[in-house]
Amino acid sequence: MASYSRYHIPSSPAPNIAPHPRRFRVRVNRVQLARLILAELVHYRGNLPVVLSRPCVYGVFSGPIGGFAPRPHRCVGCLRCTVQYPEIVQIIPNPGRMRLGDSYFTPDIVDTVLYEAATGRVPVRGAGYRGSFGGEGWDAMWTDMSEIVRPTRDGIHGREFISTSVDLGPRPDFLTFDSSGKPAGEALRLISLPVPFIFDAPPLSAESANLYRALVASADGIQSLAVVPLRRALDQGLTSASVVPLVRASEVAALSDLTPQPPLNGKGAQRAFRMIELDGWNEAAYRALQQSYPESLICVRLPFEEEVTPLLRQGVRLFHLTADYHGRAGKAFILEAIRSAHERLVAEGLREQTTLIGSGGIVAAEHAPKAIICGLDAVALDASLLIAVQGRFRGECLDRASAQVEMPSFEVAWAAQRLMNLAASWRDQMLEILGGMGLREVRRLRGELGRAMFQAELEREAFAGIEGYA
Amino acid sequence: MSKTPEVLIVEKHTEALHRGFHRWPEMGFAPPALGDRRWTPELILSTWVQAETGALPTGDLEYRTGHSGGGFDRLDFKFLLESEWLPPDTPIDTSLSLNRRPYDPRIKIPVPWYGAGMSYGSVSEQVMLARAMAAKQWNTFTSTGEGGYPDSLIPYQDHVITQIATGMFGVREETVQRARIVEFKYAQGAKPGLGGHLLGDKATVAVAKMREAVPWVSLFSPFPFHSVYSVEDHRKHVDWAKTIAPDALVAVKVSTPTDVDMVAVGSYYAGAHILQIDGSYGGTGAAPEIAKKNIAMPIEYAIPKVHRYLLGEGIRDEIVVMASGGIRTAYDVAKAIALGADGCILGTTELVALGCTRCSNCERGRGCLFGLTTTDPELSQLVDPAWGAERISNLYASMQSQLREVLRRLGLRSARELRGRTDLLVYRKSDQS
Repeated sequence: MASYSRYHIPSSPAPNIAPHPRRFRVRVNRVQLARLILAELVHYRGNLPVVLSRPCVYGVFSGPIGGFAPRPHRCVGCLRCTVQYPEIVQIIPNPGRMRLGDSYFTPDIVDTVLYEAATGRVPVRGAGYRGSFGGEGWDAMWTDMSEIVRPTRDGIHGREFISTSVDLGPRPDFLTFDSSGKPAGEALRLISLPVPFIFDAPPLSAESANLYRALVASADGIQSLAVVPLRRALDQGLTSASVVPLVRASEVAALSDLTPQPPLNGKGAQRAFRMIELDGWNEAAYRALQQSYPESLICVRLPFEEEVTPLLRQGVRLFHLTADYHGRAGKAFILEAIRSAHERLVAEGLREQTTLIGSGGIVAAEHAPKAIICGLDAVALDASLLIAVQGRFRGECLDRASAQVEMPSFEVAWAAQRLMNLAASWRDQMLEILGGMGLREVRRLRGELGRAMFQAELEREAFAGIEGYA
Repeated sequence: MSKTPEVLIVEKHTEALHRGFHRWPEMGFAPPALGDRRWTPELILSTWVQAETGALPTGDLEYRTGHSGGGFDRLDFKFLLESEWLPPDTPIDTSLSLNRRPYDPRIKIPVPWYGAGMSYGSVSEQVMLARAMAAKQWNTFTSTGEGGYPDSLIPYQDHVITQIATGMFGVREETVQRARIVEFKYAQGAKPGLGGHLLGDKATVAVAKMREAVPWVSLFSPFPFHSVYSVEDHRKHVDWAKTIAPDALVAVKVSTPTDVDMVAVGSYYAGAHILQIDGSYGGTGAAPEIAKKNIAMPIEYAIPKVHRYLLGEGIRDEIVVMASGGIRTAYDVAKAIALGADGCILGTTELVALGCTRCSNCERGRGCLFGLTTTDPELSQLVDPAWGAERISNLYASMQSQLREVLRRLGLRSARELRGRTDLLVYRKSDQS
């Protein structure tokens, strides 16, 4: 008898293995410190507990020789010490940390992703928001909330259920039945994923057997998908059910060399990739894949700038649209590109039949629900996966071909756990967003622009009429 | 009798801290790791000066705006020519009536602001006491937040708002009855739609006792009130509070969703006297980082939306609109009023006056080494309530004098005249500071 089990991503601590620049430097003027101690020895008449009491509970000054050899890795930047003794100690932001990531994947986002990957937790901190008021791209967008609807927090903490499942694949607008009342037409071939994200193939410079194994193992672990270039899947013998072979038109024939996965339905011996991704549009290749792999979903991977309408007319219903790692899609940012693609499908009357997966520039937990609100069904994670396993960007990390990423040496199990932790944290944060809105399932979020607020529109509404505002 | 080492340690650090609060603004540079774009180092240091002296910094420390690149930091006033300013000795009224209904007690406060809800547990009892003492000194209010009502606040009960939040922590009949204002917290700007968070580290034995909860267990308040799913349910809540405390005014704290204007109208029809709209950039003892930036709109956008909608409905003058969530300075208060609020509610500003450096470690039990957002028995001794009250009171004095100066330069004789006067604002393409 089938038993119900609630979806859960197994997270467990997976600390950093490569050195990571600490947040602060602690500079102590040792002469002044010695003077202070001498003065206090006199003032407090040698009362050592009082003299040696220091203003830090984090242990920065609690080494064998106290403040003479501070331990900056323990500093949390509260600044109590420097406020109290400005002439003795200075806390300085570590310039080494500013070199993390790149101009888009900022050091703050790097820190956050590393925390998420190491712990699987939702980052929770005190004090209010510290950053820019709004800005560009995702920062110019806020999600809505509702004052009085369910399931909200009960759902976040699991007492009620908020679904993060999404379906990939073509869907008819309506069911048809034959004269005997039985369903007619093609059977539904949907893939249901319990999370609205899949893992995209990493940049060429980051590729390694271990990275691909970790990506596939973690995709298996969260019951999602990992896009793997065909030659890599062949080299590594990656045959898991989560593998999505990324195939160029010239490689269609070679796909048959990939070790068949277990059949989806458990019967027969037919190959059954759950999904195959065709890299770029080629009608002949698309038809060949459809014919050779009738049980698999065929997804077409295209840059956002390319027009999808002609492909819709040729029957394509599953797209992976890509921007670069900074979210640039031609002249547009991915946010506008998603909206535009979504609205085009709506205008064509084909939105419900079509699945849009998107990637590029989705590097923080909040970007995923925002991208879904703009019109994606699911997102493919890319650069954030590299950061999660402590990859270091060398220069600007822009796309698969050109990005230079230095990867640490790691074991597959560690990296797989880091990626699962990241997925767990992002899913939980998605629940926070959905809970805030009172939505029970992420599928309802797709294209729900009424659940979004954009800075330009809010500002126009609030400030129109104020001198200087145009 | 000689002092114990424990007492001496507290004295030593308290004196050194107070010296530091005094010295830093005079050093000509800020601590390199201090502040952020919203609360710039200069804004923090100038708040310390005002808290110490009751006056503005004498040097060129910026005290009006931050560097966030939007909202209040992009707005400025269109002051009159100096020759048109009101004479310096002109009496300028900064008071605010908190009840615009034709019934229930009249309550007037001399400044258009009062203290925000900060719970016992999120801050120390000493900090609550300091805020209550300052509220009494200024004949204004502070709010308990949702963590209960410590007995030490009873002498200040005429100036303490009892908050009833979704967790109902520490809410008792007598705490509702002793309040002149009862505040229902539906949502909070820093974590809209998510309910309060008090992590296990901070749920000490004393805090848990006050909240009637289990010590060292994280307390996540539900969201929303599970007894309120409509305006009619909201009305039932107000009726319930009025049954227990018939003479109390009712305040309603909500966040800033797209339909914040509708929520405002609903609150009016439910019988609220005061509507607090709490913008998304407000302070918190602990919140998911994703919620702080991304859910609900900043207060600068919500105020005009609510003000205009209430005007359109013809009910603007029957409900008091208080803005909170990102109000840092007297200039922010004035801008919020010009955008359409009646007054503001201050939270983080008061903590900065007491020495907060905005380091964001408030969620931890011993995270706040300034003794503010902690209930650790050792650390919380760093704040002497009388000292704290004096600092907040001084800040209020400085803010009131700045608000009067703004009004004088605009040719207005009262803060009430400024409400909704967006024609007196100017939008700058870059930050003001």
